[in-house]
Amino acid sequence: MKATSQTLEKKRKLPPCRVACPAGVNVQGYVALIQQGKFKEAVELIRKAMPFPAICGRVCFSPCQEACSRKNVDQPVGIRYLKRLAADIEREQGRIEPKASPKTHNEKVAIIGAGPAGLSCAYELAKKGYPVTIFERMPEAGGMMRWGIPDYRLQKYVVANEISYIQDLGVEIKTGVEFGKKTTLDSLRKDGYKAIFIATGAQLSQKLGVPGEELEGVYPAVEFLRHVALGEIPHIGEKVAVIGGGNTAIDAARTALRLGAKQVMILYRRAKEDMPALPVEIEAAEEEGVQFNFLVAPKQILGEDGKVKAVECLRMKFGEPDESGRRRPIPIPGSEHTYEVNTVIPAIGQQIETSCLPSTLLDKSNRAVTADPLTLETQIPGVFAGGDAVTGPASVIEAVGAGKRAAESIDRYLTGKDLRAGREDETEESTWIKNWEQIAKKPERYTLSHVDVGRQPVSFTEADELLVKIKKLAMSEAHRCLECGPCSECLGNEELCEADKAMVDEASCTGCNVCALNCPFEAIRKNERGIAEVNEILCKGCGICAASCPERAISMKKCSDTQLLANVDAVLGREYI
Amino acid sequence: MIFRPKIVAFMCHWSLPPEIDVSTPSLIRGYPKIRIVKTMCAGRIDPAIVMETFLKGADGVLVVGCHSPDCHYVDGNTQAERKVKMLKRLIRLTGFDPERLRLEWANASEIENLARIINHFRNQVASLGASPLTSGESNSDVVINIKAAKAVAENFTLRLLVGREKEMTENANVYGDKVSQEEFDRLLEETLEAEFIRHKIHQLITEKPMSVKEIAAETHMEPSQTLCHIVNMRRKNMITLDHVKGTTPLYKALEAH
Repeated sequence: MKATSQTLEKKRKLPPCRVACPAGVNVQGYVALIQQGKFKEAVELIRKAMPFPAICGRVCFSPCQEACSRKNVDQPVGIRYLKRLAADIEREQGRIEPKASPKTHNEKVAIIGAGPAGLSCAYELAKKGYPVTIFERMPEAGGMMRWGIPDYRLQKYVVANEISYIQDLGVEIKTGVEFGKKTTLDSLRKDGYKAIFIATGAQLSQKLGVPGEELEGVYPAVEFLRHVALGEIPHIGEKVAVIGGGNTAIDAARTALRLGAKQVMILYRRAKEDMPALPVEIEAAEEEGVQFNFLVAPKQILGEDGKVKAVECLRMKFGEPDESGRRRPIPIPGSEHTYEVNTVIPAIGQQIETSCLPSTLLDKSNRAVTADPLTLETQIPGVFAGGDAVTGPASVIEAVGAGKRAAESIDRYLTGKDLRAGREDETEESTWIKNWEQIAKKPERYTLSHVDVGRQPVSFTEADELLVKIKKLAMSEAHRCLECGPCSECLGNEELCEADKAMVDEASCTGCNVCALNCPFEAIRKNERGIAEVNEILCKGCGICAASCPERAISMKKCSDTQLLANVDAVLGREYI
Repeated sequence: MIFRPKIVAFMCHWSLPPEIDVSTPSLIRGYPKIRIVKTMCAGRIDPAIVMETFLKGADGVLVVGCHSPDCHYVDGNTQAERKVKMLKRLIRLTGFDPERLRLEWANASEIENLARIINHFRNQVASLGASPLTSGESNSDVVINIKAAKAVAENFTLRLLVGREKEMTENANVYGDKVSQEEFDRLLEETLEAEFIRHKIHQLITEKPMSVKEIAAETHMEPSQTLCHIVNMRRKNMITLDHVKGTTPLYKALEAH
């Protein structure tokens, strides 16, 4: 038998969820593993792409879920909660310990900043066998995941656990080292570091730029959250106004409530639908009693004896769309009004702390680090930069994506390879679904309330039962996945599935076309010679064509008829007592 | 001694609960031990392989696929359904009990449901007793019939028909003709009957050459009807004239056809 294999399309076809993920996590793959109850294997598969399954399961903005094909039928698959559950099960039931890679390279790599970008870069480089050291200013690693996101959304032990995984791979993290003072690019080079990745993030809150910002009782959001995370609880008054509409604003507002504020209001200059914060976060804040005032912007902060007394605001109306495509808010003259508050938390954005960085790395405005968008190279050879420091404030998963790209570039740089070759986007979204109406609807069966087990006290037995129930729900939810991409490459069933593809015995094929009629994925069709040909990119290895071929001219590479009959012999020969 | 039927379950990878280890007998309480052969999809189950499994001595064959909206291969489960439906009709012609073959749907998260399915099928097969194919008689009527049925399951005409069922009943052909399900079922039945009798004749004259009259007696058919089949089979190179005894021609089976 002669196998026909051809690659009709050069681009690698992937499901939309995987294309949407900045870190390229194989979403369809781990969802397929969860369907089979293989939670630990699912986590391992995620770790092939990035080191933060539990963190992203909690705080990711889930572009995968937004891209999910099932949204065309009913609701997208609850991917983030599935990831969270899988990661939690793995952590609770004993972590799969990382295998420290042999140090195959001698070139030391220094990473500045132990946030998601720096950590993922270190993770990838350590897996490739490089000795990596991360320099972190704060007393603990994690960056914004540790010091920016409040505990109720992302528990510190979750962050610590995932960082310890990276350390177990052999990555050294030096905390309390401030870059730009004793440690500089020059000093690192002197210490023998051959490549440097700058991932210092965007650590400063953007100033409001209104009078009264220097008053006691004004806490910029990032600093406010960092102090809370450090345990240095700032003194806040009974009435708190948070200014801004992003996740940081919501985090600050919900944190203020937890610190004992009686009344917390969010002042946002646009409308609710324009808020960049995650909808679930906005809902949660509303539930907790945070008041929202839309279309208002602060004009000045009023004080008394040097302390905040009130915030004077202007009402806004919508004008023409701005460069971001959103309607531009315009102040309405004479609409001044005041809110009496004791604390004001500006949360209108973050800035990059440029003072610690050499000016050659910065862009013209001195506001961000310049780096090549594809390779993350900077002006200085051997120095790379990525994450919030380059892009401005973004998300964990985008930082992870940048860290991975940097690791790839550093590896190429240190081994003398071309930094660009073959790195342009070679992937393409692909789905076999042509007619969405034909797909059966399945209501969402699994929500956050199912994951948050910790909220109700339960006995040990009940907890066990609850876990079984939750696992079942999660498996059902995972079954909502349409498997819309080509083979999910979950590698969960290697003996049968991996690379199982149909092959055609050309001598026997009569060109009856039954295979093409029955293939669910249009992966087999008659070629110009009238003989069936398999497109191995599209073939998912189900074997329907092999079972249907009238001439029995199609076989499977792994699950062949001979193999199946041998398995039948094996099970029939087994003695069961 | 209690009769423990040998049941082979062809299970699709996705409907198999993770608790079950295919390589060892399952130790879950209340869960009957069956012989699982895993495939990626129930649609992989070739009718010829099911018949071969019976010939190898299985007392029952269970095919398990995913519930209809869960199939990982869009309609692999309905593909399996079509094949099992055809097989049951084919088996009915052989005098073997079609209840020994069963198709069920399961989900990897429903181990209790799977246990119920297996228990039920096991009891059913147990009540039917051991498969007549396991008695050791290689030339009994039922063995010949099942061998013939296996040959039918491997037969091009029949497989072409089954392979085109979806196309024929759901879409029109190039001439714009659409076949109703009833019409298709009738066509399938006719083809099954004709192919089965031909392959049975083929089985009979594999051992020794026979005359039309002798074949007619063995197959309980009119000699004229038998002759029609003989003519058809000669044309298809399934059989050939062996020799003429007196004035009676005797036919024998050809190996590859």
